[in-house]
Amino acid sequence: MAVTPSPTPEPATQRVGGLELPVELLRPAWGDPYLDLDDYDAESDVMALNLGPQHPSTHGVLRVKLFMDGEVCVRAVPYLGYLHRGVEKLCEKLSYANVTPIVDKNDYVSPMMNELAINMTFEKLMGCEPPPRAQVIRTIVAELQRVASHLLWVGTFCLDIGGAIGGGASAFMHTFRERELILEIFEELTGCRFHYNHHTVGGQRHDIPAGWDTLVKQTLDHIERRTFEYEDMLTENPVFKARTIGVGVVDPKLAMACGVSGPVLRASGGDHDLRRDAPYAAYDRVDVDVQVRTEGDIYARYLLRLAELRESIRIVRCLIDDIPEGPICALKAVKLPGAVKPKPGFAYTAIESPRGELGTFVVAGPGKRGKGGPNPYRCKIRPPSYHVLSLLPYIAPGENLSDIIAILGSLDPIMGEADR
Amino acid sequence: MGDQILNAMWTTMKNVFRPKTTEILPWKQTRKRRERYRSTFALVHNDLGEEACIGCKMCEKICPSDIITVVAGGRKESPVTGKKRGYADDFILDLNACIVCELCVQVCPEDAILHLTVPQGPGYTREDLVLTMDKLYDNEKRDAASWGTGTGLVAMQDPKRGLEPPKPKPEAKGDKS
Amino acid sequence: MSISPFLWSVIVGFVMLNVVMLGTAFLMLFERKFAGRMQNRPGPTEVGPNGLFQPIADLVKLLQKEDIVPDKADRGLFNLMPPLTVTFTLVMLAVVPFSENILVADLNVGVLFLLAIGSIQIVPVWVAGWASNNKYALLGAMRGMAQGISYEIPLVLCAAVPVIYAGTFNLTEIVEAQQGWGWFLWWPPGPGFFAFGLFMLCALAEANRIPFDIPEAEAELVAGVSTEYTGMKFGLFYLAEYLHTFISAAVASVLFLGGWEGPGPDGWWWMMAKTLGLFVAIYWARWTLMRYRSDQLLRYCWVYFLPLSLLLVAAAGTWTALVGLPS
Repeated sequence: MAVTPSPTPEPATQRVGGLELPVELLRPAWGDPYLDLDDYDAESDVMALNLGPQHPSTHGVLRVKLFMDGEVCVRAVPYLGYLHRGVEKLCEKLSYANVTPIVDKNDYVSPMMNELAINMTFEKLMGCEPPPRAQVIRTIVAELQRVASHLLWVGTFCLDIGGAIGGGASAFMHTFRERELILEIFEELTGCRFHYNHHTVGGQRHDIPAGWDTLVKQTLDHIERRTFEYEDMLTENPVFKARTIGVGVVDPKLAMACGVSGPVLRASGGDHDLRRDAPYAAYDRVDVDVQVRTEGDIYARYLLRLAELRESIRIVRCLIDDIPEGPICALKAVKLPGAVKPKPGFAYTAIESPRGELGTFVVAGPGKRGKGGPNPYRCKIRPPSYHVLSLLPYIAPGENLSDIIAILGSLDPIMGEADR
Repeated sequence: MGDQILNAMWTTMKNVFRPKTTEILPWKQTRKRRERYRSTFALVHNDLGEEACIGCKMCEKICPSDIITVVAGGRKESPVTGKKRGYADDFILDLNACIVCELCVQVCPEDAILHLTVPQGPGYTREDLVLTMDKLYDNEKRDAASWGTGTGLVAMQDPKRGLEPPKPKPEAKGDKS
Repeated sequence: MSISPFLWSVIVGFVMLNVVMLGTAFLMLFERKFAGRMQNRPGPTEVGPNGLFQPIADLVKLLQKEDIVPDKADRGLFNLMPPLTVTFTLVMLAVVPFSENILVADLNVGVLFLLAIGSIQIVPVWVAGWASNNKYALLGAMRGMAQGISYEIPLVLCAAVPVIYAGTFNLTEIVEAQQGWGWFLWWPPGPGFFAFGLFMLCALAEANRIPFDIPEAEAELVAGVSTEYTGMKFGLFYLAEYLHTFISAAVASVLFLGGWEGPGPDGWWWMMAKTLGLFVAIYWARWTLMRYRSDQLLRYCWVYFLPLSLLLVAAAGTWTALVGLPS
């Protein structure tokens, strides 16, 4: 008589790529949205609409292929790569000092973050630590950049839900008016309003000019007053609330499974902020009050970003008054491309950019005579926008077309860093 | 519900009475750029009145966008000091592709290339924006140099800046009177 | 010397047409400048002194654009719809009285005519969306149609309130019934005020203005119905929407705000002042508010506006039954 063997119990974890992962993560409860990509029946009522690379929604060049049943989306497939410029390949050709102005242009909305991430990795490779004055300046500048980025987000999000000719444009102009003030602060410090090339390996390139801290304090006072105006215009506005409450809810487990961090995760309840959990620069000196919300819809993300904006203003105010004296760079100023030659090895640093965890993994290759080479061997940038866009196929089905636009806006993807 | 909408509308109306924040460039530009603002380039003459550029090609090497082409002119005798020094025969900077990173200004040992705080101005063709040596020396006459110079930037990034000055050396032995 | 009524109508019609069309062009400029001021910027200033000739520049620009008809579009319908939209809008202008004498046609069923033409006006927009052979245009057209026919019902019912008060469909007589500060906005007390508000909201929805402009939402539908249109055809759609808003404002001031009467001498100037006042309020709201989603719009219409307008008609009818018509 044949004995049917009892089925072996399923293992709790599985070994994938050298890591033991829990099985639930590998086979999540939600289906795989990328199956049957082209399996769309022409006789059915499903319409394939291309939210094409050219679109008035200001998120850069993103193509989303939506399969729609009338107004409701049935499946959404994002296509990236339209803004791929080969930044990582270019980094292999350039020397360590030259990489910064190129990497600036990844997340073109918050350039200081990109510079900070990559230079922190280079410093890890070189084994040098920026002086305390540089650390504090880095923190101040990063938080100011966060304020500017969130202001931009509020403006462009209102464009998405309000219209380029209409109420959205008014909110857009108002937030950009405030953002101009921050860009003026950066102009005073570095010389460029945008894409500053301010960080270098070992510290900063420009020091704080006289009167900068008064300028910063005045600007921040002004911006804080104006955020209350934005609240007036938006937070209690019934049209805004009707468009954003309950729309685009992101499950925290889904967010974590997709690798999403930043405001999207925090609005869904994930209490994770690199500034507090893995402090870098001068964040160990300040108490970062991490804002977390549980609803996970667009309204929660909006409120969270406004709260983060205010929190950043508070952090800058904490730091601006006691900046330690001293040098601003641990290494001598770069005169030749091959000035910086770290020993062969690799390093990964992650910072909290306004969109989430921006990571840089750099492999320093060998050069001549056993020392390091003048160019990085491999620069891998882990952009938060890429992972946030991978959420789209999971949360788009079942939503109206208008809601998808609003959701895309609220996720805050920047195609420059998603595609590099 | 109605009063929140009216609140929003009042916010917009408030802005009608605020002063304008935009300007109509380029005819009217009342806002002065900051001291460190960097836009276009100029090659300058040094204090002795001769060309500061010695044709060392350091800016050409450091440029991430490879837009600078320096044709070195070899060592010649300077008419002012009589000593031999390097010269640049030709200097081409393609402003079309410049990313304004300030690295060429930083590496110049003679402070020869500087940024200006005024823009180059639009041109009708791409060649208008390829700055040749005479255009760069013309820009010097605009007298709008930005703060950043090679020596200034290098001094600012000095790792020993702002630290305690070194202690004075002890007196040499045998100098006792 | 008396001019025959027909000749007078023709002259008035011609003058009104020109004035309204030119005025719309310059109203567009005024809107842009006002919107600019709301955003701390000057608005158009280049063309002409302080931007005064901007509409002419826009007109020339639109006229000289290349006329592209998509390959698979239904050519006849595609080309026919923009002028048809403008025509219907302008025909509505025929019954709007700007003063006792300044009107083209003194129809006894003026209000009915207006509402009828207003409802036909949705059709060319819808057909244009279909004829464009473009999914975005189709979506916009479907949304526009759904919104248009839904919002007609509260619009008609709210327009019925002054009709019930005045006892006539004739627009001139409705204005005359409001003589002497008895504007239907506040007298009889109650229904007139709400009817005015609802009428304005429904007129905004009919004219696809923010907060109801989802059929031409730019962030989502590129340009909605007019995506495939270029040059002057696009201009005609834009013009038709503008004219529709202007005429809705004019009709609202006739029905609820007393038309051409005001403190001091009555005349067309009061009518223009009220229309322009409403117009400014409309685009002040436009440049402040976001837009509602399509299904929310329809929900508001059917769940809130329709019962409210039925109540208002009932209240107006009760008043008139009890108190009677104005003398």
